[in-house]
Amino acid sequence: MTLPLRSGQVASFKWYRVLALARKDARELLRNPGAIAPPIVMVFGSLFPAFLVIVGVPMMVGETFEESGEFAEEAARAAGMIPELAGLSGNALVQTFLFHQFSLLLLLVPIVAAMALATHAVIGEKQSKALEPLLATPISTLELLAAKTMTPFLFALGLTWAAVMLYVLGAGMLAEPGVWRAIVGPRLLIMFGLLGPLVELAALQVSVIVSSRSNDPRSAQQLTGLLILPITAAFIAQLMGVFIVGPTVMLLAAVGCVVLNSLLLWLGVRVFQRETILTRWK
Amino acid sequence: MAAPLVAERLTRLFDDRVAVRDVTLSVNAGEIVALLGPNGAGKTTTMRMLAGLILPTAGRISINHIELSEATAGMARATVGLLTEAPGLWERLTVRLNLLTYARLHGIADPKSRVDATLRTVELIDRADDLAGKLSKGLKQRVAIARALLHEPPVLLLDEPTAGLDPASARHMRDLVLALRSEGRAVLVSTHNLAEAEELADRIAVLKTELLAFDTPAALRSGSGGSRVVIELEGSKERLDLAVKDVSEIPAIVAKLVADGARIMRVTPDQRSLEEVYLQLVGEQR
Repeated sequence: MTLPLRSGQVASFKWYRVLALARKDARELLRNPGAIAPPIVMVFGSLFPAFLVIVGVPMMVGETFEESGEFAEEAARAAGMIPELAGLSGNALVQTFLFHQFSLLLLLVPIVAAMALATHAVIGEKQSKALEPLLATPISTLELLAAKTMTPFLFALGLTWAAVMLYVLGAGMLAEPGVWRAIVGPRLLIMFGLLGPLVELAALQVSVIVSSRSNDPRSAQQLTGLLILPITAAFIAQLMGVFIVGPTVMLLAAVGCVVLNSLLLWLGVRVFQRETILTRWK
Repeated sequence: MAAPLVAERLTRLFDDRVAVRDVTLSVNAGEIVALLGPNGAGKTTTMRMLAGLILPTAGRISINHIELSEATAGMARATVGLLTEAPGLWERLTVRLNLLTYARLHGIADPKSRVDATLRTVELIDRADDLAGKLSKGLKQRVAIARALLHEPPVLLLDEPTAGLDPASARHMRDLVLALRSEGRAVLVSTHNLAEAEELADRIAVLKTELLAFDTPAALRSGSGGSRVVIELEGSKERLDLAVKDVSEIPAIVAKLVADGARIMRVTPDQRSLEEVYLQLVGEQR
């Protein structure tokens, strides 16, 4: 495969070099509890509130949503905007509506996972002073950038999908019959098949850029953690009934993420220049 | 045949700061060249340019007959082994996995057997499955040199290979460097250790932003202010203290004195040490 570079030059992009480094990164990450613990904690952290509110609280107060009338109005309003709610009624409708609302929290998994893994993948190389010998091989900076994002991307994506499966599985086991089927639909597919990976890629790229200027994974993560804010704000806003995130909104957000990712890629390639890494990365 | 490593009039600027100016040197096959210079003299920048890691602002570099440019840098790097100042190992991985990753990055056909063969060369095969982070500094340095040798490069650039090593590890490393020369490789060693430079190097380059000298150790000692010879004569309390261009002139001087009837008790060549020559060159005389 050949890729055009600046000044019209052409350099060959070798996947075997990307895979060699990505494999190494995967092995290192698996041996680094400091890197993999936060994403795993985040999986459970993002699942817990939904099951607490939708299953735990009604059990504790001994009253279903249908009986208490809680969220019934919002659920009925959302039925027109979320196609998966059509045909449901009573407690199942409210539960499905809430599962859809809380699913936004699962978008924090790819962000936190990408952040934690990418900062370790880049800062780890800086801390061990492994970048110079690495750059002394025939690897190109584009291959290096691809390798440094591939492992965290795949790990984070795997964790996100695992979280989604647990979410649906949990709904199947603990919620009203048929709720889990109504969770799986276009909204979930767009959210975790398209928007999730795009948000994750943005988090990864921000992490790589920030990591180039930092020597401590935690301080890099604090900066990239700002990415959590828009998701949290959207989650709170929709819980308060300000708006409902339907498939259209999600598609628009995906388009925004594509633009953001293009900008970040441009920035990332500039940061990932061999000379910059050798002389400016401290 | 042209030298595998040639640098002509290399200049490197970082913004407005001149790191290296107008440096010309070469390393032949089967030759060790030592690169000496004070801290901040541009040694690491020179090594990085010669390894194809960064490009010079001006001048040309030929690495294994490949003219270095942005387009050829990857190809050139594939023929150079670089030992960096810090070993830079992945400490959570074993020695074997460290090297296997590099073997794969170099596209070596049978990476596992090459790694084992290289580990045997540096006498580390019995530590192959140890975590890199558990090794001593000397052993880490040996893994790093194994990494530099994996792709069997004809040119080796070693940045302070014995810095911080205990005497036994340093001795082992020097023996390894000498073995590399006998294999016909071109070796450039950056060091602060003048005794080591004198022991290893066929030629010595002294750098302080510019190249101050580039010659054999003997020529450097005699060429920079020359040598002296002290001759004690029988029955005389005075000694002859003569300046000579080279110690090879001494037999002729002695022969002339004897022919003139002098009875010579003792002849002591007083050659300047490499340290004196070096300090004079870099302008840091004690």
